[in-house]
Amino acid sequence: MSTFSFASLRRPLLAVALAGAASVSYAQGGKPECLAPAKPGGGYDLTCRLASNGLEQAKLLESPMLVNYMPGGIGAVAFNHVNGVRKNDPDLIVAASTGAALNLALGKFGRQYDASNVRWVGALGVDYGAVVVAADAPWQNLEELMADLQSNPSSVVIGAGGTVGSQDWMKAALMAKSGGVDPRSLRYVSFEGGGESLAALLGGHIQVFTGDLAELKPQLDSGTIRVLAALSDQRMDGVYAEIPTAKEQGYDVEWPIWRGYYMGPEVSDAEYNAWVERLQKLDEQEKFAEMREARGLFPMSKFGSDFDSYVKSQVEEFRGLAKEVGLVK
Amino acid sequence: MWDFLFQGFAVAVSPLNIALVMGGALLGTLFGALPGIGPINGIAILMPLAYTLGLPPESALILLAGIYCGSEYGGRMSSILLNVPGDAGAVMTTLDGYPLAQKGLAGPALGMSAIASFVGSTLAIIGLTLFAPLLAMVAVKFGPAEFFALMIFAFASMSAMMGKDPLKTLIGAVLGIIIATVGVDSGTGVLRFTFDMPELYDGIDFVVLIIGMFAISEILLMLEHSFDKSSDKQMAPIGRVMVSMKEVLSCKWSMLRSGVIGFVIGVLPGTGASVASAVAYTTEKRVVDKEDTFGTGDMRGLAAPEAANNAAAAGSFVPMLTLGIPGSGTTAILLGALMLYNIQPGPMMFSEQPVIVGGLIASLYLGNLVLLALNLPLAGVFARVLTVPKWVLVPCIAMLAFVGVFQLHSDLHAIYLMLGIGIFGYLLRKFGFSLAPIVLGFVLGGLMEQNLRRALAISGGETGILWESALSIGLWIAAIIVMVAPWLLGRLKSKSAAAQ
Amino acid sequence: MSGAADRVLSVLLLGLAAFIAVQANQLDVPFSYDPVGPKAFPMLLSGILGLLSVILFFRPGPGGSWPRGPLLLRLIGVLVLLGLYAWFFTLAGYLITTAITAAVLAWLFNSGPVKAVISGILLSIGSYLLFTYALGITLPWGAWLTSAA
Repeated sequence: MSTFSFASLRRPLLAVALAGAASVSYAQGGKPECLAPAKPGGGYDLTCRLASNGLEQAKLLESPMLVNYMPGGIGAVAFNHVNGVRKNDPDLIVAASTGAALNLALGKFGRQYDASNVRWVGALGVDYGAVVVAADAPWQNLEELMADLQSNPSSVVIGAGGTVGSQDWMKAALMAKSGGVDPRSLRYVSFEGGGESLAALLGGHIQVFTGDLAELKPQLDSGTIRVLAALSDQRMDGVYAEIPTAKEQGYDVEWPIWRGYYMGPEVSDAEYNAWVERLQKLDEQEKFAEMREARGLFPMSKFGSDFDSYVKSQVEEFRGLAKEVGLVK
Repeated sequence: MWDFLFQGFAVAVSPLNIALVMGGALLGTLFGALPGIGPINGIAILMPLAYTLGLPPESALILLAGIYCGSEYGGRMSSILLNVPGDAGAVMTTLDGYPLAQKGLAGPALGMSAIASFVGSTLAIIGLTLFAPLLAMVAVKFGPAEFFALMIFAFASMSAMMGKDPLKTLIGAVLGIIIATVGVDSGTGVLRFTFDMPELYDGIDFVVLIIGMFAISEILLMLEHSFDKSSDKQMAPIGRVMVSMKEVLSCKWSMLRSGVIGFVIGVLPGTGASVASAVAYTTEKRVVDKEDTFGTGDMRGLAAPEAANNAAAAGSFVPMLTLGIPGSGTTAILLGALMLYNIQPGPMMFSEQPVIVGGLIASLYLGNLVLLALNLPLAGVFARVLTVPKWVLVPCIAMLAFVGVFQLHSDLHAIYLMLGIGIFGYLLRKFGFSLAPIVLGFVLGGLMEQNLRRALAISGGETGILWESALSIGLWIAAIIVMVAPWLLGRLKSKSAAAQ
Repeated sequence: MSGAADRVLSVLLLGLAAFIAVQANQLDVPFSYDPVGPKAFPMLLSGILGLLSVILFFRPGPGGSWPRGPLLLRLIGVLVLLGLYAWFFTLAGYLITTAITAAVLAWLFNSGPVKAVISGILLSIGSYLLFTYALGITLPWGAWLTSAA
């Protein structure tokens, strides 16, 4: 069903825009390449385009960066590819996100792999999870929703764009857990991607949607939804300024969706550091900040060993969570 | 309230914009005609170009609309000429389109498909212009329970296709549904039938499936035909190239009905051109096919899916423009393009961004006109593909199949899978299966299972939810009618015959 | 002989149905929010397929003509050729593999050797230019070039 899947379309697809000269590609060796482990148009495409267009505009690369696609297994095919065929390719970066860390934790990239099988270069942007209800929903804040969940977990229908064990599900599960509710006792429905879930929320088929902040902008503007909580460590700016975080409402849940890159495990330190430096330089540019904002991402700025240890600790944390809810043994 | 449309046309008819829509339409036709390469590629490539060239937003959108319409037209060519559908919506087009080409009527068939596409799109764009905001509100009422009922209706409609060999049609549909279960289960995340191969986690890619099933098996069948001179089903020589007025008129009701069906299905987020063309084809087969000529090269059997899939393509703009929810992969890309220009789709867009909405809708009208004008005279030229000798044609098909799959996956496993599916498809065709029920089973089966389970997850296991709303009750009744009506009619007929 | 082919098919399908049932039954489901779960649908399909294949066994259709002799060899030849095309697609690169495959295919379709070679080379270069420059699609150059560089 993948052709009809909206899973890959959950981000507003600014991705396609701005590829610039990268659209004419020559496919020789020695050219920088970003591999999007998904079909064209999804979040990973966006991540690759962000790097490719940004680096192009900032003139941080000698030749334009190619963007290629390798869908399959929510990134597993590309992860295996890098670990098998292109271990030491100095010109290849692969798009990754929180979802990749989650899949590593769940063993979905293959049991033999974990976060140390690739070199984590850096993240250029981040989005945050959000707890969303329709504008006419009875709950005004997270506490009211939680009270209903605590008294009867199956009285509220929660929906989102992913299966059990996916990012969207984790958001719902963590939210429940923070209020002392067993994630297994929820009533949870998985759709194919954020678009379908949002339609189900607007149609009244589900009552709560655990989505991502940036994809909600059109609905926030038109006032058809209410965001009960942002799953970020502090409030965001602009249209999101009114949205309280879950933390400030007393529930310890955060769900950052970072957008970053990794390289093959046998890439030399010099090459790895060159990429780290390149991304860091890009991140400091004002023009790039505008570009990132246009794509609905917030600043992240984690690079090199800083990013590497961040991802590794995230994978550990997820593994613990997955064990707790019985997803892995 | 029509200001937006007038403003839109005023923008769209500037020389630059007309040139853009024509260029987009031509290029889109090329993208669409290549199997596996579709509007998503075209838009993904041209969007950045438009941005770098500094085109104003409405011009960029007009260019995109041209590509979008063009690829919808182009996708039919390989269905009709080669029996290889260019995309998901073009599968049903092969059923009567290819037999027409075999009869030497490739030119008229291409012309008819252009006209049907035009009628379907135009109907849908009118629907979009008039009712978009209203329809969007109805579309979201369509929840999992309603989708499940719609799938039941679609399967019930398929019984019209049973035709000569009902048993093999059924087996084909079941095989299709089985293929759709491969991959991560969308409810629980459990891996089904993936055999520890990450390449299979996302399920079998639709493009890989249809390219393998149709293109690779076609190569093998062509080899048989060229080898066995005695049974060589030579194509009839190309006769007349233009579609006749009589043919067009004989299809007028089929086109109109199918256009409406296609539009309605296209508006629903989560279904698309493939479901629309399947429902339209089977409906028409029931309604007009008294002599049982559908599937043997009936113009109406070509016009119905063509009108429907184009109408569905335009229908998917409704949720995109009014709710900011993409109804298909392509509209998702268009949505991205809108947002790049800082245009927020949503209920207010029609009043706040009249030039953009109007320009987009106006360019859809124009794009379709341009394509009709292009495709009618060119039908004869395209039909000449059939006069190309096999030894040129077959290497081209093989090359296109490989490139189509490779550019989507950058991965050889997908190509091996395509070849495997091709052998499977060839064997099934030798056993006398038709491929359409398999593909339909694949498309509908997955949706059916997912929506059934979603509905039951929502209700906490109460099956009552499946026939709770008026919409789903209506669909259930419709499903029962299409199943029972032919049988009842047959009974009545034989009774009245006996009475005489 | 009538119906023999369909009988073979029905046995194969029955085997497939059994395989699906066994596989589906072995699924390990941590937990499911819907009462149906991931097993039920494949089990149901397996049941229907099994039933249909039993019917097919007892009511087979007329057997078609099956390829044999030189034709069968040629069919296998085409499949092997396509398999090799895939195998060498990224290794040797698009231009070379396409030219060779197209030439051999043309020859298998009775073109004559000279035409085959010329058409193969033209197709490969022409399509490469089209895809790369007009459609912006990346095609592999081949591993041998990459590693040399």
